[in-house]
Amino acid sequence: MTTITESAVRRRNGPDWWRWTGRLFLVLLLGFTVMPMVWMIITSLKTGFAAMQYPPQWWPAEPTLQNYTRLLDPSGRIGQDFLHYFWNSLWVSTITTILAVVVAVPAAYAFSRFRFPGRNFLFFAVLLRNMFPAVVFLVPLFILMKALGLVNTHGSLILTYLTFGLPLAIWLLKGFYDNIPIQLEQAARIDGATRFQAFIYIVMPLSTPGIIATSIYSFIGAWNEYIYAYTFLTKQSQMTLPVGIQRFFSENATDWPGLMAATFIMSVPVVVLFLVLQKYFVRALTEGAVKH
Amino acid sequence: MSSVQGQAIFRDVPGPAPKQASLGQRMYTSRFDYLYIAPALLVMLIVIAYPVYYTIELSFYKTPASLSLADKTFTGIDNYRTVLTSAIFWKVTWQTIIWTVLSTLFSFLLGLGAALALHRAFIGRALLRGLLLIPWVVSAVAASYVWKWLYHSDFGAIGALLNQIGLTKGPVNFIDNSTTSLYALIVVNVWKEFSFAMIMLMAGLQTVPESLLRAAQVDGASAWQRFWHVTLPQLQGVSTVTILLLVVQNFNSFIIPFIMTGGGPVGSTQIWITHIYELAFLRQNWGVGAAYAVLLFLIMMVLGYFYVRALTRGDDKRAGA
Amino acid sequence: MAGIVLQHVMKTYGNMYAVNDVSFTVNDGEFVALVGPSGCGKTTTLNLIAGLLPMSGGDISIGNRVVNDLDPKDRDIAMVFQNYALYPQKSVYKNLAFPLQMRKLPKEEIDRKVQDAAKLLDITHLLERKPRELSGGQQQRVALGRALVRDPAVFLMDEPLSNLDAKLRVQMRSEIKRFHHNLNATVVYVTHDQLEAVTMADKMAVMNGGLLQQYDTPANVFSNPVNTFVASFVGSPAMSLIPLEAAGNSLRSPEGWELPLSPANVRKAAGSTTKDIVLGARHSTLKLHKSAVPGSVPGKVYTVEPTGDVTFAQVFINGAVVNISLAPSVVIAPDEMVWIEFDQDRMHLFDGATTMALQAA
Ligand SMILES: Nc1ncnc2c1ncn2[C@@H]1O[C@H](COP(=O)(O)OP(=O)(O)O)[C@@H](O)[C@H]1O
Ligand SMILES: [Mg+2]
Repeated sequence: MTTITESAVRRRNGPDWWRWTGRLFLVLLLGFTVMPMVWMIITSLKTGFAAMQYPPQWWPAEPTLQNYTRLLDPSGRIGQDFLHYFWNSLWVSTITTILAVVVAVPAAYAFSRFRFPGRNFLFFAVLLRNMFPAVVFLVPLFILMKALGLVNTHGSLILTYLTFGLPLAIWLLKGFYDNIPIQLEQAARIDGATRFQAFIYIVMPLSTPGIIATSIYSFIGAWNEYIYAYTFLTKQSQMTLPVGIQRFFSENATDWPGLMAATFIMSVPVVVLFLVLQKYFVRALTEGAVKH
Repeated sequence: MSSVQGQAIFRDVPGPAPKQASLGQRMYTSRFDYLYIAPALLVMLIVIAYPVYYTIELSFYKTPASLSLADKTFTGIDNYRTVLTSAIFWKVTWQTIIWTVLSTLFSFLLGLGAALALHRAFIGRALLRGLLLIPWVVSAVAASYVWKWLYHSDFGAIGALLNQIGLTKGPVNFIDNSTTSLYALIVVNVWKEFSFAMIMLMAGLQTVPESLLRAAQVDGASAWQRFWHVTLPQLQGVSTVTILLLVVQNFNSFIIPFIMTGGGPVGSTQIWITHIYELAFLRQNWGVGAAYAVLLFLIMMVLGYFYVRALTRGDDKRAGA
Repeated sequence: MAGIVLQHVMKTYGNMYAVNDVSFTVNDGEFVALVGPSGCGKTTTLNLIAGLLPMSGGDISIGNRVVNDLDPKDRDIAMVFQNYALYPQKSVYKNLAFPLQMRKLPKEEIDRKVQDAAKLLDITHLLERKPRELSGGQQQRVALGRALVRDPAVFLMDEPLSNLDAKLRVQMRSEIKRFHHNLNATVVYVTHDQLEAVTMADKMAVMNGGLLQQYDTPANVFSNPVNTFVASFVGSPAMSLIPLEAAGNSLRSPEGWELPLSPANVRKAAGSTTKDIVLGARHSTLKLHKSAVPGSVPGKVYTVEPTGDVTFAQVFINGAVVNISLAPSVVIAPDEMVWIEFDQDRMHLFDGATTMALQAA
């Protein structure tokens, strides 16, 4: 009995053709996605000599961690520089993230709740930031940073990175605030809260996923940025990772295993951060951005 | 006090429409609202308004290589004429179009396929989604180096693999070859950004009402018909935003071509942005570079109009207080 | 406890009035219902009383104190919202405690008051739950509890029952009424459901298009509606309104028939600004005949709805739908010709041009 109904149901839905295509597609896509990363890791475990062989060693004959120890060894010159770049990246990204949240939260709240003259125009202007490619602003911003005395400081990067993150942060958070009923704040104000207290006690906790999501976005954006860091910083001591590793390895012949190890270490923080918090990101997109 | 109590207070003609407060008055009454957005606007103003103004100005002048602004000479629209009549303009524009269209198309299609395949819950879905998202999260610099190594003409893994399975003989040039270089870079770009489309569309799929799909199933729609008539129309809004963002992002890409090929070989991977960079920073041809940038602003403004419209869809229906 | 006085209260949005010159007084301990169709300005009026919106003009005082410029928190009010507005991240206990915490009461006192309110509303067993784990009725009680816990001078309620199912609504209606009685509280209660207003309120303020139409006891509003809007809004089924023309001592229909008027009604009709007159009658004042009798007018049955102890019928008279209630024993069928007899003492006449009720001169 059961078998008959089951097969009948299956026939009506098609012979699971869809599901199998989907699975096959996912497997192929996963291969495409993961293979380069796997090759990066495999290469980083080789010696320079082992990497330069043809045909390549698909699996390192003598796996070694020497590339990693060299990069992370604070007593060597390379290790010193690399760790320095790492801390610079961490510092710039963290400050950018904190400032982005501090600036985006009130702005997003105002765009969601208030109807002041010029609101639409200003909101559009904020969103349009992302339409401008970094390269075309290099010269004027360099001149501007010089005038502000910020060249070769992390301040120049933080100020610029802030504006990459802000449009999306404001937009995502505004979506969150739009979905929080105004009655909750009204209730709080009647219950004895000031406008500010209503925001802190009631609205902020409800928008935490949005704040986490925008923080990740700002952090990753700042961590990965290359063009401005490449232009604004000339001092070794100030450089961030994306620029730093480049300076390192293209001096004479490229040390591919070393470069792959550096790339790997550079990617770990953002990938881990993102994987741990990705559910907030998806949720923020669903609740904030993809309006019903 | 109780003069109106228990009385009929009907007025048969509604009073005249209230006078709308003047703009100045309304701005004054909402003056505190502006404080909330002031920090954001200030930062934006510094980092956008000045550079835009500066770029437009440069584009009408001939400025010496030293970029000493005191010595610039006004040349009217000469820079624009140079841009539009140079032979390389059309080559670079054509390559930019190929780059943008193919990158966007394949990123979107792969993203859509992944979003649909990942929509149904199964064990390990979160892990799979996480893995697929990694390329989007790592820096373009890292991606460029890794792929440059994969494409390496002597020791590259891809070429070696193709040789081992017998598809090719001898070393394969992907990025040192002007006929394949652009497409090789497009593959990298798609690898990097398809999961952005995936995550957007996954979010979009969650908003497709289950009841609609059920209703369609009851009405006898096949899986394909349900997808075509129910799911896809519901995804229209997200898809518009996603595609627009991809187009803008691709049009403005810089790092992948800059690091992997520097626009070469023989300009075969030169797109607008790398070309602007080359004009300005390598040839100190500030005026022509700025003219390119201004043209790019114009294109971006057109895209930006649609982008903002898509993003703020239904915004005014939600009234606040 | 305190009364509320609204004087010439205005609220404009752009070039439109949401609330247009509304004045009324709520006495201490009174239950006033603010009623009208959706979009007529009820919520706006309530929010103005609460101080959640800035006024565009007029004065509001609560308990002899002008509150125009006071923050909501300083007006000594409590409010229940249509969607309850419970803080989703807080437990029921914390929801109830929040207003007390904001007023910096000592912990023990907060606990005592929360427990008391919970007991009163029979939600003690729910205190640890989050709002989303509660049914609609339970959420409603918690929202009520959050208002009660502080015992404020004035309770404001914005359609507190409209999200409940019909049965629960009737039950909560009597509970709220009971609370009002026990606490002797001043309540302003917004609803679009005239039945709620009529059954619960000491007085009702009927609004339409931002304007206050009538402010009186439900009984007076029901028996003496000031205009056709109030007449058709209050009462269920609605009062039937038939547009006719004055013709000497009777009302004439374009269909040809005439309805003679009593001397009192003739005097009323004489006060009309034009010849157009609207005849209003409630279903219970009408009599149905199967053949013509003096003082009756012809009509055609449209639908018949038996409800058990009474049968409602809709009859077309002169193009207007007329509601009539009948004994269940009366048997009529759709499309049947019938004659309707009006009660001259209980019929209403309205000026066809101004829609105002016509009074005997
Ligand atoms: N923030 C606002 N901006 C513009 N118009 C509004 C706003 N709030 C309410 N209105 C308008 O004011 C009128 C009264 O609204 P409201 O008081 O909410 O009506 P009710 O509660 O009686 O249904 C409606 O026409 C509504 O569209
Ligand atoms: Mg309302």
